[in-house]
Amino acid sequence: MHTSSMLKKEFLKKWIKGLQICYSSNKKMDLVERKNKIKLSADIAMASAKKPATCWSNALIFNAKENKQDKVLVSKILEPESQLQKSRDRIMSVNKRVECKKILKRSCNCGKRMKKKDLATLVVAKRLVKKRTKVLKKLVPGGGSIMNELSLIKEALDYILCLKVQVDVMRSVVTAAENTYIYRT
Amino acid sequence: MSSRRSRQSSSGASRISDDQIIQLISKLQQLLPGTRIQRSNKASASKVLHETCNYVKSLHREVDDLSDRLSQLLSTIDADSPEASIVRSLIM
Repeated sequence: MHTSSMLKKEFLKKWIKGLQICYSSNKKMDLVERKNKIKLSADIAMASAKKPATCWSNALIFNAKENKQDKVLVSKILEPESQLQKSRDRIMSVNKRVECKKILKRSCNCGKRMKKKDLATLVVAKRLVKKRTKVLKKLVPGGGSIMNELSLIKEALDYILCLKVQVDVMRSVVTAAENTYIYRT
Repeated sequence: MSSRRSRQSSSGASRISDDQIIQLISKLQQLLPGTRIQRSNKASASKVLHETCNYVKSLHREVDDLSDRLSQLLSTIDADSPEASIVRSLIM
């Protein structure tokens, strides 16, 4: 597919940029720290390679910036997009405030009554769907601020596509690097 | 009268979005690994959502695992310089 190969290239470029930054800045990193930096670079690279920006990609970048340790790395990977990113971050912080208000509002609301024939099965099915939707909300970055079920599924679709691309590229890079190393030793 | 009209319009709106949800859920199904037989709407919706959550979790785990492997690789080649230069030229 056209867009997926472009996405792969963009992702690879940005991920490698992130790896270079990690590698050059601090040579004495322990295993866990290095792994976290690699993972973070990959996630940020994917989120910023995704054009046009989606809710999950904005949320991912915003949440990463909240962490002081990672802020520098994140901003370096995103380097030439500072203006666009600033406006996205502003939107994200507004969304978070709106989300808190909505959660407060929902907790004050009373439940509505349903008058249908197959109440039992419908209720069970609805409960299951609600339960699964909650889990999905937690998995997709920024899912908590998506109130509309429709948009949540759309975001999940997009997120899964990009995750697949990310995993594919990472897998090929890692296996190639491992094979090179094994071959030499 | 006005309440009936408002109820109609709200049910109409939910009907439209129900169709869209069904479409999106079928799209999700296509993305997920393995094929499923579609029975009724609500039942398969929760199943598809469940499979989706599992799939996202497994993708997260893979990213984690790959980052682990790469980090181990980069750390082991820190000492040796000829291997480091090769992997570096590959990655960077």
